[in-house]
Amino acid sequence: MSMRIHLSVLRRHSLMPALVVLQVALACAILCNVLFLVQQKLAPLLAPSGVATDELILVDRMDSQAQPWTAAEVRRGEQVLREVPGVRDASAAFGLPMVPGALMDMALQGGNGVKIGVNGYLGAGLVKTLGLQLVAGRDFLPDEYHDFGLDGDGSHGWDPVAQQPIIITRALADQLFDDGHALGKLMSDLHDNQGNGHGYRVVGIVRHLLRNQLGLATDGRADNTVLLARRIGSTSILNFAVRVDPSMHDAVLKRVAAAIQREFGARMKEGATARVSFYSERRAQAFQRQRAALWLFAGVTLAVVIVTVIGIMGLTGFWVQKRTRQIGIRRALGARKVDILRYFLVENLLIVGVGIAIGMLLASLGNRLLMRHYELVHLPWTYLPWGALVMVILSQLAVLGPALRASAVPPVVATRSV
Amino acid sequence: MFAYYMDLALRSLKRNPVLTALMVLAIGLGIGASMTMITVLHVMTNDPLPERSTHLYTPHLDPLPLDYSHGGSGIDPSDNLTWPDAMSLLRAHRGVHQAAMAGGTLLALPVQSGLQALYAAGRYTTADFFALFGVPFEYGAGWSAADDTAGARVVVLSDELARKLFGRADVVGRTARLGELDYRVVGVVTRWDPAPQFYADSTGSQFSDIDTFFLPLSVAVNEDLPVSGNESGWGDDEKTGSSKRGAAMSWLQFWVQLDTPAQVADYRQYLINYSAQQKALGRFQRPPTNATLFGLMDWLAHQNLVPNDVHLQLWLALGFLFVCMVNIVALLLAKFLRRSGEISVRRALGARRRDIFVQLGVESALIGVAGGTLGLAIAQLGLWSVRHRPGDYARIAQMDPSMLAGTFVLAVLASVLAGLLPAWRACRVAPALQLKAS
Repeated sequence: MSMRIHLSVLRRHSLMPALVVLQVALACAILCNVLFLVQQKLAPLLAPSGVATDELILVDRMDSQAQPWTAAEVRRGEQVLREVPGVRDASAAFGLPMVPGALMDMALQGGNGVKIGVNGYLGAGLVKTLGLQLVAGRDFLPDEYHDFGLDGDGSHGWDPVAQQPIIITRALADQLFDDGHALGKLMSDLHDNQGNGHGYRVVGIVRHLLRNQLGLATDGRADNTVLLARRIGSTSILNFAVRVDPSMHDAVLKRVAAAIQREFGARMKEGATARVSFYSERRAQAFQRQRAALWLFAGVTLAVVIVTVIGIMGLTGFWVQKRTRQIGIRRALGARKVDILRYFLVENLLIVGVGIAIGMLLASLGNRLLMRHYELVHLPWTYLPWGALVMVILSQLAVLGPALRASAVPPVVATRSV
Repeated sequence: MFAYYMDLALRSLKRNPVLTALMVLAIGLGIGASMTMITVLHVMTNDPLPERSTHLYTPHLDPLPLDYSHGGSGIDPSDNLTWPDAMSLLRAHRGVHQAAMAGGTLLALPVQSGLQALYAAGRYTTADFFALFGVPFEYGAGWSAADDTAGARVVVLSDELARKLFGRADVVGRTARLGELDYRVVGVVTRWDPAPQFYADSTGSQFSDIDTFFLPLSVAVNEDLPVSGNESGWGDDEKTGSSKRGAAMSWLQFWVQLDTPAQVADYRQYLINYSAQQKALGRFQRPPTNATLFGLMDWLAHQNLVPNDVHLQLWLALGFLFVCMVNIVALLLAKFLRRSGEISVRRALGARRRDIFVQLGVESALIGVAGGTLGLAIAQLGLWSVRHRPGDYARIAQMDPSMLAGTFVLAVLASVLAGLLPAWRACRVAPALQLKAS
């Protein structure tokens, strides 16, 4: 019965509701897409790093003069760093979280045929130095490490039949092997252009390890990282990971920087200085751009929300004013205040319902259109209800003011100016 | 009559200042956001060398083996040339001017005491570079082709770097120390910074980089100087060598000036012939017709320099503008219909529908002008924030006069458009019915 009244009122005066529908639809479409984009930008920010963040110092930008660093220099560097008071462990590495300077990308294929692009981290003892949590299997054994560097080419010293050991993350194990039981299984590297056909045998699985191509750390790809059993040999790109006693925070940072300068300073390029800083500082820098984008999206969202709310309030306010006499008549005929309030809220819900239905359609259409031109990620439908929910709550709040004003209309209005 | 409508509109807007402010703010925000992003896109798709771009071309060869897989990095090694190919094209001398080049960053040591050492970004290139792109010299000139062959240690500095190293700009004939070598300064160029830096490797930051020195490519190869762009190797290292001279590593950019369509067609054919010849020799494996020639603007389009984020933000901003416009339609409609009584009185006193329409149109245009002014301010604020955002294109986010005028036109157009429907609806109010009802 009451629904019929709603519908007939809306049909008779269709311009106002149509405008509200249009506003809600547009706002809903924009909100769904923005929510999704925010999530895309937030994903790498929220992804667990897997490393002991408070205990990790990273060292990079060590440019050598003329000749690359030799394997002996790298070994000595590790030794000297380990002897610094407050340092628990130190590893030379190629590829470290939050150090984008040295990048190794591989395409792994696991037991179920799925191909996944991953970042590789190389270096002796990285599991311990980074403070990774092994959930299955073991760390590399000391005799499994082989040199990675400019003198010995990568595959030198490998028995062609033997499989190189590899440590992967739990997320990778779940994606590359159907049952998630990756331990002891084989994987192949599709980037291996030399075609020497080495496989990788999974010896360990760590809980998390954030990749260093942060731009790709979205949609559950943050943990696409592997550790390879390579010791850093002669190299022109030298990075160190240093695990320290967190209680000696700044003091140990200074000592590590001093040790690096003492050990490598003489051979570094004129004017070059190594960058020595805690993981947390690197993280803050790396996410600067992401944060800027987030602020922008937050701004857009807020603006769209405010403008829409104002629009709905303005329209409904006018509509209530126009129907003051009808409301008075209803009140005189026995409708309670709460009935009037409910009437306007339900009416708004009806209009907004149509709006969000169109809005969700628009959102996925718009996403598809943008996707075709700009290689965007597909908007998952799960974002649509969230955008819709936000719109419903907002519009109910927007209409509350005018509806309360309507319910305050005294019955006596019905008798006036007749 | 117009002055009277203006007066009426002002009175009406003043009567409800909060609503007026909200409408102006909404249109200002929408216009501001849209214009910020349109400006960013506009400057990013700019022609970096307007006078010369139509005559500049870059050849594209495909020396990759048949079984080469690109992997996940999205970098195409065939976007650059190998040393042997670049030298062949250079020696063939088929264009008006041509030059091979690669970027590099070297530590520059100041000559004058009290100045700081700095990393300088510059270009290793061949003699024709300056004539090819029309680089303006302040002092001296470029080097000769003979210097290229001899591997002469000469350098052309930018005015900026010269001042940083020597404290002054007229330094031709003096010695500059870059990296670990000494170079004789033969020329100083005035500020020359095409944005985007179309001739640089596509993996760099083409909107923010400026070359501060130029030195012969032969020196860079002889001394194995560090290259800052992408160096992609393929094939077996032992057979081909992955050094700079190697035939299986691409790292060079090549540009050529071709003045007539006939020259362009000839050059394209030459590239195909060259590829066929290389294929016959067994060096190339892919079809010779893969070889093409890109014009400057086509090349920029091919490289897809504008990040997806920018496109996306533009669409968001335009969507937002649309939301604001619908909002203005709604608010104006409410406002105009509230005045049905007043309108009916005017109609009853003899005003035509057209008069009412114009009167209300003036009012919405007034809101548009105010909103446009506000939008302009907001757009400047937006561009300012883009300039202070970490990003490659931050530097170039500036509004030129045509964009300024465009902003204003867009604002007025948007709000007049938004005012049309409410004005039309309001002028159709039936005066008799309305007057009777009140």
